Amino acid sequence: MQFSESWLRSFCNPSLTTEQLAHALTMAGLEVEEVTPAAPPFTQVVVGEILTREKHPNADKLALCTVNVGAWSALPLQIVCGAPNARVGIKVPCALVGADLSAPAGKPFLITQATVRSVESNGMLCSARELGLSTDHGGLLELADDAPVGADIREYLSLNDSKFLIKLTPNKADCLSVYGVAREVHAITGAPLVAEPVASVTATLTEVLPVKVLAPDLCGRFAGRVIRGVNAKASTPAWMRERLEKSGQRSITALVDISNYVMLEVGRPTHVFDLDKVHGGLEVRWAKKGESLKLLNGNTVALDENVGILADAQAVESLAGIMGGDSTSVSLDTANVYVEAAFWHPLAIQGRARRFNFATDAGHRFERGVDWATIPAHLDRITALILEICGGEAGPMDDQIISIPERKPVTMRILRAQKVIGVAVSGDQMASIFTRLGLTHTRSPEAFTVTAPSFRFDIEIEEDLIEEIARIYGFDNIPAMPPLARAVMRSQPEAQRSLHALRARMASQDYFEVINYSFVDEAWERELIGNPDPIKLLNPIASQMAVMRSSLIPGMLANIQYNASHKADRVRVFELGKVFARDASVVDGALSVAGISQPLRLAGAAFGGALPEQWANPKRTTDFFDVKADLAAVLPDDVRFEAAEHPLLHPGRSARIVLGNATLGWLGELHPKHLARFELSSAPIVFELDVAPLQQLPVVSHVAVSKQPLVRRDMALVVTNSVHSDVLVTTMRAAAPAYVRGVEVFDVYRGAGLPDGAKSVAIRVLMQDTERTLADTEIEGACQQMLSAAKQQHGATLRT
Amino acid sequence: MDPGLRRGDEFRRMCVPEPSLTQRATPHGIASSREEPTGVIAAALADFAACDTTASLEDAKAKYLGKTGAVTELLKGMAALSPEQKKTRGAEINALKSAVEAALKARRDALANDSLNAKLASESIDVTLPGRGRGNGAIHPVMKTWQRVEEIFASIGFDVADGPEIEADWFNFTALNNPPNHPARSMQDTFYVDMNGSDGLPLLLRTHTSPMQVRYARMHAGDVTAKGKPIKVIAPGRTYRVDSDATHSPMFHQVEGLWIAEDISFADLKGVYTDFLHRFFETDQLQVRFRPSYFPFTEPSAEIDMKFESGPLKGRWLEISGSGQVHPSVVKNFGLDPEKYIGFAFGSGIERLTMLRYGIGDLRLFFEGDLRFLKQFA
Repeated sequence: MQFSESWLRSFCNPSLTTEQLAHALTMAGLEVEEVTPAAPPFTQVVVGEILTREKHPNADKLALCTVNVGAWSALPLQIVCGAPNARVGIKVPCALVGADLSAPAGKPFLITQATVRSVESNGMLCSARELGLSTDHGGLLELADDAPVGADIREYLSLNDSKFLIKLTPNKADCLSVYGVAREVHAITGAPLVAEPVASVTATLTEVLPVKVLAPDLCGRFAGRVIRGVNAKASTPAWMRERLEKSGQRSITALVDISNYVMLEVGRPTHVFDLDKVHGGLEVRWAKKGESLKLLNGNTVALDENVGILADAQAVESLAGIMGGDSTSVSLDTANVYVEAAFWHPLAIQGRARRFNFATDAGHRFERGVDWATIPAHLDRITALILEICGGEAGPMDDQIISIPERKPVTMRILRAQKVIGVAVSGDQMASIFTRLGLTHTRSPEAFTVTAPSFRFDIEIEEDLIEEIARIYGFDNIPAMPPLARAVMRSQPEAQRSLHALRARMASQDYFEVINYSFVDEAWERELIGNPDPIKLLNPIASQMAVMRSSLIPGMLANIQYNASHKADRVRVFELGKVFARDASVVDGALSVAGISQPLRLAGAAFGGALPEQWANPKRTTDFFDVKADLAAVLPDDVRFEAAEHPLLHPGRSARIVLGNATLGWLGELHPKHLARFELSSAPIVFELDVAPLQQLPVVSHVAVSKQPLVRRDMALVVTNSVHSDVLVTTMRAAAPAYVRGVEVFDVYRGAGLPDGAKSVAIRVLMQDTERTLADTEIEGACQQMLSAAKQQHGATLRT
Repeated sequence: MDPGLRRGDEFRRMCVPEPSLTQRATPHGIASSREEPTGVIAAALADFAACDTTASLEDAKAKYLGKTGAVTELLKGMAALSPEQKKTRGAEINALKSAVEAALKARRDALANDSLNAKLASESIDVTLPGRGRGNGAIHPVMKTWQRVEEIFASIGFDVADGPEIEADWFNFTALNNPPNHPARSMQDTFYVDMNGSDGLPLLLRTHTSPMQVRYARMHAGDVTAKGKPIKVIAPGRTYRVDSDATHSPMFHQVEGLWIAEDISFADLKGVYTDFLHRFFETDQLQVRFRPSYFPFTEPSAEIDMKFESGPLKGRWLEISGSGQVHPSVVKNFGLDPEKYIGFAFGSGIERLTMLRYGIGDLRLFFEGDLRFLKQFA
């Protein structure tokens, strides 16, 4: 909410500087976001009256004016002016010789006696923009006819003022008006509060527009009156225009301005109908399905039973508490009006405007709660202003009370308040705070009972009062204390590797952690992951962020693309994040939401050189086995890699990583068909793993080291290329006696000396008994057993 | 310095113990008329020093200690002496022999040393070249902050929890005292997904990690009532809001904190959070202020601002966190009696903390995956 400091001070004027006042409001919960001067500093600009205007003798577009500036000059000043609206009789701001307009001009700008095309000019007539008052540069700023000639323009336009912009929280409905903020200033500072502006209206007409309120859950009180014979073309008085403008409200027409003014002044939204466009009486009710309304803003909205409306005999005419309709809106030709001031139940207004995708000042106030008790006073206030500014005659007030809220007394225990706040605020201090806030209360030794005034909609439970005490007592006055608590030891389970430890391991394997958005381009999901039905956002901010990712890998590819486009030739990244998929097997649980699986994954990608380019190692592109070795840092020992296909990966260079019977993740080279999409020159190696199994870290159970000698036998087996090394090893292990400790591949050879389609796999066998030295026959026997198993099952032969 | 020269000096120092030898050789002044042993030593030293290979040194050795060597010849000359003279002369010659042998050994060692040094010199490397192999990656700065926040709160016994990011309306809003249509809902622009929850309301991307307050507290309410164990937890994680510009990201990280027990007050909140900021920024040179605000799930509610007393951001109040005493309706939704249990909650932006900690000016850097940025945190 925005308003001028002078307006606020007209109701409550504490002896604080502008800055102190802003600070006091902020520290009471009315955050002052911005304080801006009403006008930039400038000097020696006064009200001038144009006495004569002639064409400039030497320039077509310039005029020669004589200007009366009162006491500032005995003779009228001769001033050259180019503004189209410079004409005899109007009053305008006149910068005298010596005036400093540097601040509004944004550069040094002093008014001096000048000669313009051989004619002397002794000052400058100013537009609003030249004074920094607005961006309007259409012509001279025309002042009211009664503006006193020679008066300092800063005084006359109240420019030595500040505009306060405050950010109100949703609970502070009572501060959505200048008077409401003044009440708050009174509570904070104790400075006296001027009574709310009142007016008395004498009805000179007897006419009453019949209004029937049919929905008590929508409208709690409805007041209105007829005013006939208004001059809608009357101009808004300068003082009102000035206050509206400093509140960020453009002046529109007198009737609209008056309605806006009352809303800003006392927080009362009202609606003014053009009476001649209303057919018959009004009905206040919930809309019916199928009804519609063309609004003031030109939009037509479809209505239903959830929306409150006002209708006349023919049509829906207004969206209750939110916005008026187009057909009954006032115009410059309006002569007769009906002014409405009502109490709309907050629950009946909340969310309605948002449904139609707009917001209005009235709706904003009604959904938070507007005082119902002051409706007659405020209706009189707006009526008096209309009669004063637009003339006309008023009818009697029709005030129907249907269902106003009940204010239940709320009890606050003194001890409870002290316990929650953590400070022994005394009962007397509490009483004084309630009094300053206008909260009527009774007091017992242990508790206060408060009945909230009708302008407060945020006092329903004990905590609401505790908050008021804490807020006005001052958060700054509450000490910051380290809590006292029992010292209980805690430990992290040793068998659980933390996510941070997992990250540290990846970083030590030369991967950089990235954070990518959880929402991605739908094409990524469909075309890269083969997910036909990703979870979609209903309101994405961009089409490339429209669905929830079910894999982290495409994001990594985009990271590589980004860095490659910035001349990085080696990119290694990883991410730890959730992925999302529809999964009917998931039910609502302590940490789950039905229908969706959201597991945590670890993914990474390695692109470019296996090592950073360096003097000591030949250049080599990262391959599958480099990354497989990197993953040893995080994978459990007993995982298996099985050749398997994945839509993202090269079919001959991808592996499913299996733990027990479950897939733990994937590792492989990016399928070459995807290179172009990410503008990549070579295929990165990518992987994605479920995180939960990586966190399992069984506590070590020590096995005694054998003191017997270790025997090593190496053998080279020739098999066809299709025999996978781990199958060979598994076969040999299965055939080996217990004292064979290890069977490992240590070399693979293809080429000269071997038949086509065959490879030689060099295998190291380690044997050791825990109790005794192995006999040569045992050693040879074991080798023969393993060899014959390999021969039988895989056609292996010993390479000679 | 020339190492060869130094080695030569050492050799001389080791091989020329002449004064003591001379003294021992002429204990009674008798030898003063006999110059031979001294001359032999001087000659041997000169000869040995002139040898620069092992072979030539062995030749030089024969010249003194061989069958016809100078020392051997002196021994032979003793046959003609009286027993008394033999005794004196013998001692002199033995001393001389020892001295020559010592000089020989010293020269042998020096030659071996020289050849080893020459070999080592030929093997020298440029130690200033970079190390071989791969480099080190880095943890993302936001995650560094996440971890530090966890560690700081763990130091006073806070647990850590995380849960679903696609969340049910009830946990994200209603359980936190923010029912449908409440004006406070417009404080957070929410992403919705194309699925409904079990309550028929659309599922959403959590707008804060506060739903974890409710989930965690419901999981542990029994410990509170039965064992008197307080609920002390922080919930760091990803959060989402429909917002995107230089200071807002549609996805960001938040850490929620919650402490519920029988007597945890607003003053305790001030104490804990102020302490946290001092520890996180590792300075007491910052001011913290709590100012009244509004959140549906806390009351009283406070916005927490901080101000550095030095550094580039000196003197400006910076919003750092929302906080307050947990609203009784929320405590009820935890499954606890708000009459008996009170406490505080806070929620802070992890990116915000990270930016202030490391002087990062643009939020978008966190999500671009630019290695030039990430490498600074290695």
